[in-house]
Formats: sequence, C-alpha cells, structure tokens
Amino acid sequence: MIGRALRHPSFVLGLAITLLVLGVAFLATFWTPHDATAMRISARLRPPSATNWLGTDQFGRDVLSMLMMGARNALLVGVVAVGIGLSIGVALGMMAATREGSLADEAIMRLCDFTFAFPAVLTAILILTFLGPGLVNAILAIGIFNIPVFARIARGASLQVMARDYIRAAQAAGRSTFGILHRHVLPNIRGILIVQASVQFALAILAEAGLSYLGIGTQPPNPSWGRMLNDSQTFLAQAPYLAIFPGAAIALAVLGFNLLGDGLRDVLDPKSKER
Amino acid sequence: MFAFLARRLATLLTTLAVAAILIFAVTEILPGDPAAAMLGLTATPETVAALRAELGLDAPAFVRFFGWIAGFFTGDLGISYAYRVPVAGLIAERLPVTLPLAIMASLFASILGITLGALAASRANSLVDSALMAGAQVGLAIPNFWFGILMVLLFSITLGWFPAGGFPGWETGFFKGLQALFLPAIALALPQGAVLARLTRTAVLEALGEDFVRTARAKGLTRGQTLRRHVLRNAMVPVITMLALQFSFLITGTIIIENVFALPGLGRLIFQSVGGHDLVTVKSLVMIYVGAVILVNALVDIAYGLIDPRLRFGRGVGR
Repeated sequence: MIGRALRHPSFVLGLAITLLVLGVAFLATFWTPHDATAMRISARLRPPSATNWLGTDQFGRDVLSMLMMGARNALLVGVVAVGIGLSIGVALGMMAATREGSLADEAIMRLCDFTFAFPAVLTAILILTFLGPGLVNAILAIGIFNIPVFARIARGASLQVMARDYIRAAQAAGRSTFGILHRHVLPNIRGILIVQASVQFALAILAEAGLSYLGIGTQPPNPSWGRMLNDSQTFLAQAPYLAIFPGAAIALAVLGFNLLGDGLRDVLDPKSKER
Repeated sequence: MFAFLARRLATLLTTLAVAAILIFAVTEILPGDPAAAMLGLTATPETVAALRAELGLDAPAFVRFFGWIAGFFTGDLGISYAYRVPVAGLIAERLPVTLPLAIMASLFASILGITLGALAASRANSLVDSALMAGAQVGLAIPNFWFGILMVLLFSITLGWFPAGGFPGWETGFFKGLQALFLPAIALALPQGAVLARLTRTAVLEALGEDFVRTARAKGLTRGQTLRRHVLRNAMVPVITMLALQFSFLITGTIIIENVFALPGLGRLIFQSVGGHDLVTVKSLVMIYVGAVILVNALVDIAYGLIDPRLRFGRGVGR
C-alpha cells in the first residue's frame, strides 16, 4: 500500500505540502527569524528585504515570523476541531449503528440532519457572540460542526462492516458489543475516517481563517492568517505583500490537506478512482 | 405521491419550528436578561428597565415567541436597537444588495463549473483535463475573501476597472450596481465553481459510460451532439442538486464577502448586529438565513422525489 501511495501524485504532493506546514509550525515553537509580536514602529510597512524576508506590517512586526506562528495556530485549530468531531462523532455514529432503527439511532441521525440545516459560519458567529471571541471558542464552534459529519460517516461505514459474517462469528463467540466495535468495526472503518479527517482539517483551517478575518477568531497579539488578511486591507495600495503572503499560506495549507485526502481516498479505496 | 409530499412538508415545518425555537432560545432566553445583554456592563438599572419595557420582555416567553413568528407574516419584526428603525425595513433595504449578489454568484459558479467540468470530462485523462482539475483543486483551497482582496488589488487598485468596495445603490443606474457586485460575485463563485466543475466531470464521465451514449453514436450523432443532447442532460441532475445544496455555503459566504467589499447587504447587517449586540435584528436575520437554507434543501429533496420515484420511499437525498 505504501508503494502505491508513493506513486500517487496527489498523495505525494499533498504529503509534501502538509509536512512543510507541519515542519514550519514545529520550527516556530523554537525559533522564528524575529519575535512575531515585537512591534517596531520605526520599521513599519517595510517591503520584503534581507532583514525581513516577507516585509513588516503596520506595527513593524516581521511578517514571516507572524506567518510561522500562524501555522501553529492553524494546525492547532485543525487538530482540536477535528479531534472533537472524531471522538464524539465516531462514538455517536457507531452507537447508532449498533442500535439501527432504535429511538437512539433515529434521534442521533435527526440531530445530525438538523445541524446540517444550520449554516456553519452563521452559527459559529452566533456561538462566538455569546461565548466571546477567541481561539478556544472558535475551535469549539468549528468542532461542533465536525461531530455530525463523522457521526454519519461512522454510522454508514459501521453498518456495512457489521453485516459481514465475521461480526456474526464474533457475536456467536460471545464477544461484547464494545469488544466487537473496538476489535472488528473500528479497524475496518479507519480508512474512510482518516480520509474525511484530512478534508475536515482543511475546512477547519479555512473556517478559522474566516472567523479571524471577521475579528472573532484568534485575538491579537496571537498571530493568525485570517486576522493578518483583515489588517492588510487598510494598506492594500501601500503594502500589497501584506495581503498576498497570509492568503497564500492559507491556500497552501488547505491545498495540502485536500490533496492528501484525495490521494488517501484513491489509495485506500482504489475503486473510487474509477468513479 | 401525496403521502410523500405530506411527509416532506411535515419534516420541513418541524425543522423550521425547531430552528425558530432554538434561535429564540439563544437570543432571548440564554442571555438571561436580553436587555442587559444588549446594553452591556455599564448600563444603569433604569436604562435596562426602559429597554425591557420597549422590547416587551415582561410578557411570558411563549407569548413573545408567537408574537415574533407572527411578525414574519405581518411584517412587524420589531425596532432595531442599534439603528432605531423597523427591522423589516432594514431587511427590505439590504435585500436588493444580497439577493442579486447571491444570484450573480450562483450564475457565475454554474457557468464556470459546468462548462469547465464538461470540458474536462470530454477530454478525460488529457493534459487539458489534468490542468482543469488542478485548477479546481486550487480553487477549492483559496479562501474566497482572499480571492476578493486579490481581485481588488488587481482590478480596482492597479487597473481601476471596478470600485474597490461599497454599493452606489440601484437608483444610480443598473450598470453601476452590477459593476459594484461583479467582483464580490466572482469571489463568492470561485469555490462553488470548483466544486461544481469536479462534480460535473464525474457525472459526465459516468453518463458517457452508459449504453444510450453508444446507441447515440451508433445512429450517427457526432461526439459534440451526443454530449449536448444526451450526456449533459443526464449528468445535470446531480449537478443541479449540488448547486441548490451549495446555496447554504453561498449565503453564509455573503457574510464574509460583504465585509470584504463593504457592501451594505444582509450579510454585513448580520455581522454588525451581532457585534453591536442588537439581538432584535440578529434574531430575525438568523431566522431568515436559516429558513432560506432549510427551504432550499427541502425543495431539492422534493424535486428529487418527483424526478426519481424510488427516492420517495427512502429517507431523502444523500442518506
């Protein structure tokens, strides 16, 4: 499977971009060219140069250092928001699958339908208005919308697996429902969950960027790509580079996770490629 | 047929009712005292009491709830706290910006997505196909608000072809209005167009493999004729469904895009009202947005059932 994956162009490109973003975020934990939050008004709005490779913003902060710290931020959002969706959603979905047709199953699935009816960005804005703006609340607001996505997928995939003979054999051998889900169902639906996780990861990064652009996501002085884009608009004519780099960073990270997801889908489920 | 429609209608009404209760609870019950929440920490007890009286908060919650719902039919949605004018008037004033914007964006997305998707499918596995699909992948990754900013940079600041933001109003001329909405509509359309292009390609490829295509070619139709008359028509069902379902992303996209281009539409109003704690306006606006999404999804479901009778007995689209 690894051999097939490494011959798949989207997978390789997606993996390379994702590793680059991960690497930059990891590096930013120890080192950035300058202090990402240090303001130097005397050096404000400097175009890219040898000292500040990607220039400085309206407060004289180094754009490259801010972008690097922003990568950490974006990944944190992705990891926690998808983590919330995966842990709660998969548990709910598998539980619904074991009780197919029951009241609990019906209730969980209708709740998922209902969440889908609510426009995510709008609800996130509402949630952030009540919980107050900030990174943690933004992650929560984004994470909540991942729950029904994973619940539906986990339920559908679990039902398919549970119709197989070896599940009946395990039941006959006296294994508990939890044991069957843990030992037989989960390993068999792992692939589809990983693929969806990488897609949701990309969506979470986009959502956080959008919320931060609106000023209700990550709060200053913590650098965030979306917020940098918002700030850049005031100086668009003067310092266009301020708008170009953060947006390119968002697009690159999202592209990386999307390609990785596409590649993984083809590798884990070769039939999907023919479709 | 009748049973199917009745069931869908019942689901639609239930979903709308639950949504309304939830929105009412979030804006009027969860904050404790909405008047205090709107006025902030510095408010004196007298001003809070005055606002409570103005909003009629002393009435029981269920009376206020039904009064609010009735307002959607009578056109009385209360007075906006931030703007001091009727909410219904505010909405009527902003709708002529958001509605044309959403329609233009849908139009651009469908033209872009369907044309490029069909082109990619008709040249499947060629260089053109690969380039188009790579383009769609990039289109999906680019945040629409960044695309908007880049277009302002190029077409407004550098070339001066379009205004950088704002809306002059339709009374200054139809063309001027269209010009102000053009870049925002393109920005909104980009990700939707990319999704549609990918879907159209898949749907066309699937239809190309069907027997009727071989029959059409065998009876002497050219490749182009077969594509136009038989393939595209069959491939359009999932594409149109997706277009309708994308509506949800599109209208929430207006919240961000109207902020990028400083357009005085519903999206910007909702954001400003949330920021200004104008719960009176927020409540009705959110209901309108959510209601529109629920309605469109239900219509798609019903249309699907009418087109394909097998779906009438299932649980609907995508389940």
